[in-house]
Amino acid sequence: MSRGSGGGYDRHITIFSPEGRLFQVEYAFKAVKSAGITSIGVRGKDSVCVVTQKKVPDKLLDQTSVTHLFPITKFLGLLATGMTADARTLVSQARNEAADFRFKNGYEMPVDVLANWIANKSQIYTQHAYMRPLGVVAMVLGIDEETGPQLYKCDPAGHYFGHKATSAGLKEQEAINFLEKKMKNDPSFTYEETVQTAISALQSVLQEDFKATEIEVGVVKKENPVFRVLSTEEIDEHLTAISERD
Amino acid sequence: MGDSQYSFSLTTFSPSGKLVQIEHALTAVGSGQTSLGIKAANGVVIATEKKLPSILVDEASVQKIQCLTPNIGVVYSGMGPDFRVLVRKSRKQAVQYHQLYKEAIPVTQLVRETAAVMQEFTQSGGVRPFGVSLLVAGFDDSGPQLFQVDPSGSYFSWKASAMGKNVSNAKTFLEKRYTDEIELEDAVHTAILTLKEGFEGQISGKNIEIGIIGEDKIFRVLTPAEIEDYLAEVE
Repeated sequence: MSRGSGGGYDRHITIFSPEGRLFQVEYAFKAVKSAGITSIGVRGKDSVCVVTQKKVPDKLLDQTSVTHLFPITKFLGLLATGMTADARTLVSQARNEAADFRFKNGYEMPVDVLANWIANKSQIYTQHAYMRPLGVVAMVLGIDEETGPQLYKCDPAGHYFGHKATSAGLKEQEAINFLEKKMKNDPSFTYEETVQTAISALQSVLQEDFKATEIEVGVVKKENPVFRVLSTEEIDEHLTAISERD
Repeated sequence: MGDSQYSFSLTTFSPSGKLVQIEHALTAVGSGQTSLGIKAANGVVIATEKKLPSILVDEASVQKIQCLTPNIGVVYSGMGPDFRVLVRKSRKQAVQYHQLYKEAIPVTQLVRETAAVMQEFTQSGGVRPFGVSLLVAGFDDSGPQLFQVDPSGSYFSWKASAMGKNVSNAKTFLEKRYTDEIELEDAVHTAILTLKEGFEGQISGKNIEIGIIGEDKIFRVLTPAEIEDYLAEVE
């Protein structure tokens, strides 16, 4: 006889439900969506670009302090979609881990190693009751010495994959559908194409044209593998290029 | 493991004497992608479906079949993140065995220690069981071996086994085609045919993974090109 879910706690902590699901992990995914922001990442031939909305809810807020794009090291960037407080914890720990890696191993932490570390930490929260999963989807980007530009996405369940393009947040599924069409024939995007694909994907999915102050863009390029957040002027250039192209 | 706040087990007996958390973990395994293993007379083959959530995922970044030691490999059905934890722990145990005894860990020992870890998580405070079943394939001085380990921590040696969504059809298929004298090459073909049985869509070298170990006692994962060759032979 199949009994109920052990007192109904399967919704409160990360234990299995009768269907073999982890409700707390599923709710963490919902929390990512409830932040109301959509993010997009695209990997080109020799660059990676991530874009996210910049919603400043109050005019009195200092806009420069509102950000979801974080440099982890000089060469690695992280775009956190979801609950900002959880994002800051994750970023702080990731920075520590990356610096420790560099110190102990003598070379920079590669993108996939950081993604693996983030995902393993997330997995611990899905298995131990004392900590809830983080309500954050992290996109990590960088240029790998051996494999070139890399974009990894880590979610609250502890999954992580390398992506040619991906999305997270409120309109995640619509964005992925849009990107699947664009990337179907395995295109090889230049830097400009990469950035413009990412921005136009966001515009298409949210059905609005952005001003440069309403989005954040982060890039890494093979010829200069430093993680950079684009300035408003640079974003404007790309937005103009997109509108002229259409 | 488990924080002091949760110094009580989350997996407890129901009035009927069942550990329901383990049953739910098995359900999680049963909804995972199909995987299987076949022990041949001169080696072992393990295989799994590799269905990725989107074509945007870089399939080269994902490897479901992992090496625990040069002569032992493992595949899973169920939750990927939990699998990664077990792979790390098993690899560490294998290395520690080697440091102590200066020889490669026998397959049965490694399986036993991995299973012990899985059992701990069904009894310790503040943790849930692992949502994976493992198929461990190895070749040591006792010959080729295939073990299945369940979330409860129980393990058995199998001639051929399957796990995940299509388990009953796959096992029926394997029962029909298995012979004690089956050779490794034939076992690979049988593995592919078994996966094909329940496969949705077009099977190719990119959406399945196959790992083999032969008399050379070296476990390796086949490249997509090699899988395509086998697929052509099977047609």
